[in-house]
Amino acid sequence: MNVDIQSLGTFNQLAHEGAKQATQSLAQMTGIDAVVDVTKITLLDRADIGEDLAGRDFVGVQFEYEGVLEGDTVLVFDAESADTIADALMAGASDDPGMAQSAVKEIGNIMMSGFIDGWADYLDSTIDHSPPEYIEKSGAAVLPEAPETGDHRQVFVFKSEIEWVGESVNFYIYMLPEYEPLAEAMVESVDTEGDAIPIDKLQTFNEMTTKGTQQAADNVEMMTGIPTEAEVTQISFAPIEDVPKQIGTDTYVGTVVEFTGVPSGYLMVLFDEVSAVNVAEAMMPVEMDGDGLDDQHKAAIEELGNIMTSGFVDGWANVLQTSVDHTPPKLVHDMGRAIVDPLAAQVGQHQEHAFIIDSKMQTDDIEFSAEIHALPNEQELRAALDDLDVDRADETEADVEQIFE
Amino acid sequence: MPDVLIADDSEFMRNLLREILEEDHTIVGEVENGVEAVEVYKEQTPDLVMMDIVMPIRDGIEATSEIKDSNPNANVIMCTSVGQEEKMKEAVKAGADGYITKPFQKPSVMEAIEDVVPS
Repeated sequence: MNVDIQSLGTFNQLAHEGAKQATQSLAQMTGIDAVVDVTKITLLDRADIGEDLAGRDFVGVQFEYEGVLEGDTVLVFDAESADTIADALMAGASDDPGMAQSAVKEIGNIMMSGFIDGWADYLDSTIDHSPPEYIEKSGAAVLPEAPETGDHRQVFVFKSEIEWVGESVNFYIYMLPEYEPLAEAMVESVDTEGDAIPIDKLQTFNEMTTKGTQQAADNVEMMTGIPTEAEVTQISFAPIEDVPKQIGTDTYVGTVVEFTGVPSGYLMVLFDEVSAVNVAEAMMPVEMDGDGLDDQHKAAIEELGNIMTSGFVDGWANVLQTSVDHTPPKLVHDMGRAIVDPLAAQVGQHQEHAFIIDSKMQTDDIEFSAEIHALPNEQELRAALDDLDVDRADETEADVEQIFE
Repeated sequence: MPDVLIADDSEFMRNLLREILEEDHTIVGEVENGVEAVEVYKEQTPDLVMMDIVMPIRDGIEATSEIKDSNPNANVIMCTSVGQEEKMKEAVKAGADGYITKPFQKPSVMEAIEDVVPS
């Protein structure tokens, strides 16, 4: 199966329009002023689906759908918001648990009908869905089981995030289509062959990136003594304007580099502020005085970012039998979106959509987590994938002793 | 004790290398880009240069090439986070005598130095 950039863009737009339709339905029913914040298509390992929901309790509704597309979809929101949302539909509904549950089901039903109908209309076919099933679970368990994918471990997930304006309430729509019907729908919507990417190469690239993340995590462990595990690696596809929103509004400390070669682009290594201090202190030979980040912490973070960046991209270069150069790391300390904005603007001069490669790593020993985000030039990534020999995918490491014999 | 020049744009990494080396080596200079590395090399002609690759102004491979042009007997060990085969081949072509990838620990640094400048 090939996916072409135009059909990915179209499908992303479709999910976005569906989420907008769902948001309008919500507004009509409840008066809630909400906006679609982010819509993206993600290719990731089945085991990693919903990793971003960890540690939170959710309520919502789940549907099965079948027709031109088949699979499951859910609309969920934080459990603590359930009463507020139920009361917005019917004053006092939250006083009666049965009524509150019914209200949530009805909101979900109407919102998701709009979402699914949009897909059916675009695909000029019908998609039937089951009655809504009320769900109340924690973390990734709130999502349906990942669809069967035959030989493929990785699956496409469509995710939209809807924000209730002025309230800290977010709705999440996850759509997990089965592979074959999605593949057929994508093939039928292909307008041009020229920009198509074979899906097996995209999956291979994702696997290479997973190895790169583990290498970066190993490098952290070697420099700090903190046992560090790669957690999630995924490739997402989204409109350029949505890219900064995905990093969020939390404050990060880290490094940014521009990389050149095939592909070129930008790469960020980001730590939350507490993690930045912890990891920098773990790198210091002596205990530091005072709180917060001083110049020595920043120098340590800069070097760690440099080494993590290399660990991440070297595997690409070795498998692709090319070199990927990068600039010296530039230290950043700002809100996530503010860090990404100028980079997305640069990339956006040449393309309307972007592939975003996201990796996370963390440890249980101390409070530490790190994220790596890469924003490659889309045309050059496509060229690199054209050249990718999937049989070389394991050859991510260079043999320095052989070269220097 | 052998004289060593450290070229790395990271202050953190220069400090780390200095701590590893100063017991058995004389550090004749610490510089943060390839241009300074060539200048200080020509002034001091140390026994060994520990050279980073990714540096501003001029990278470590260009600087190595220039140092080797000026003195083919110069000893240069690339000391870098870059673990790419093509980059290693470029380093060999520029005349590098050894290659250590970051992050490293003292034994691997000392072993690489021993290979290039036997005690």
